[in-house]
Amino acid sequence: MDPSQLLKGVLDLAVLAVLREADGYGYDVLRRLRAAGLEDVADASVYGTLRRLFAAGALTTYVLPSEEGPHRKYYGLNKTGRDLLAQSTKTWHHFADTMSVLLEEEAA
Amino acid sequence: MNTTLTGPAAAYLAEVRTELSDLPPGELEDVLDDVTDHLTEVTGELTGELTGEPSAQALADRLGTPRQYADELRTAAGYPPRGQAARPENAGAMAALRWGIVAATVGPFFLITGIFSGSPDSGFLLCLLGLAVIGGAGALGLRALQGRHPRVVLETPRGSNAAATIRGILDQLSPGQRRELRTVGQPVWWVARGIVVGGGLFGVFGAGAATVVAAVAGAAFSVWVGRRTQEDRRWLWYVVPLNVVATIAVPVWLVASLVGGGPVGRFDNPGYVGSSGYNGGAPGLTIDGQPVTNIYPFDAAGRPVKVRLYDEKGQPINLPLQNCAANGGNPDGTEPGVTNLFPQSIAVQDRDGFSDPDNCRETDKPPFAAPPMPATPTTSPLPTPGASTASLPTPGLPTPTQSLSTPGASVPVVPTTAPPVRTPGVTLTVAPTR
Repeated sequence: MDPSQLLKGVLDLAVLAVLREADGYGYDVLRRLRAAGLEDVADASVYGTLRRLFAAGALTTYVLPSEEGPHRKYYGLNKTGRDLLAQSTKTWHHFADTMSVLLEEEAA
Repeated sequence: MNTTLTGPAAAYLAEVRTELSDLPPGELEDVLDDVTDHLTEVTGELTGELTGEPSAQALADRLGTPRQYADELRTAAGYPPRGQAARPENAGAMAALRWGIVAATVGPFFLITGIFSGSPDSGFLLCLLGLAVIGGAGALGLRALQGRHPRVVLETPRGSNAAATIRGILDQLSPGQRRELRTVGQPVWWVARGIVVGGGLFGVFGAGAATVVAAVAGAAFSVWVGRRTQEDRRWLWYVVPLNVVATIAVPVWLVASLVGGGPVGRFDNPGYVGSSGYNGGAPGLTIDGQPVTNIYPFDAAGRPVKVRLYDEKGQPINLPLQNCAANGGNPDGTEPGVTNLFPQSIAVQDRDGFSDPDNCRETDKPPFAAPPMPATPTTSPLPTPGASTASLPTPGLPTPTQSLSTPGASVPVVPTTAPPVRTPGVTLTVAPTR
């Protein structure tokens, strides 16, 4: 099974979860996802997901200067984003539990 | 994000931009900001491993081809698939665009016709109509854009031709000149067009004092619009037609001011101060636009009479004196006085066209043959010469300091004071008749 296919469905949730810890700019989010173990995530899809969540009103954005030079566009959760994260988390747990039960039955 | 990418990374960004060119401009710029940020980071990482800039191949190995990258971005961001963006409602947008351009052309035409039409009333209406049409053009233009960047206008064949022509002209200037043109020329142009359009409208149709205020307000408004336009290019739909008006009005106004007395050249006319109403800009008395310097009244029987003239508010209808005292210049430097007693005496000029102050002659004889009696006498009987002065309305103003002279009486008087033009009440009369 190709993990990147699975990832497509839950990338929103993963990005929201990463931003719950702290606001971050695009590449920062990407690095944190990789560090969390999602090595297969495609660069462009993370940027796309950020844009979609922003368009949906779940994220705020602001620009900060960085030490290395270029200004960076940071994304952060707003109330809508936190609500979405809570709701998605619930959905995910329900789905994961269902899948686990199903798979255990199969195995048993 | 303010970094400028170079080499392969810049080329990569350009290709991604092309792939995503169907996106709304605002979203496109935002997402490309992110892509720039991304490419900067990736370039930094790859440069750490290699020497010099990463090759296009290195970028493609890491990120996929620009097309793959763009497609991935498009899918994840939920953008519509390529080539499907907002086609159906394009017909309405094109119609709005077409009518907008027509309105943008017709509006200034109305305005200019209004400004140069002789009658103030219809001219003002035409100007209002023109402004309304220009406003409509702007609204239609905005509708045609449907949130897209005004750059779409340049994507039509004609638009791109025009843009190429203008760019060709600009390319002949050196970068320094171009920058100066932008930093110095643009504000100057903003102020100039504001003064001319704001002040010009009131200068033609309104009062002189309002003209100055309107010119200043127009300049301020114009600068404000200019700044707004820099931030939001959609304002161009209003600004371009107004610029057309201004580009025509500015030279015309300059020429009219230089020649003096043109229809829009009243700015430099000293007579506007303190006057009001139509024709407020022109001092003295005019009929059909021509100055009147003297009035020769005749009674019903065709005999010359001497009268004092007042307008419907009881204000004396004064004209500057042209007698010997005024003509020779006042030794004390005061301005020549005015009179509402007509006909006023005029210094007789000698053959050289000058009058000798020491040996000056005056006359109130009409410089034309007495007109024949009108075929249809007017219904209201004219006052007789003797009664005319006595029966004139006495406005609620200070009584003239001297008795009104009857025709033939010779009462030479030198003005005792020099009141400003049109000061109500003070009727300095000089009636040196012979």
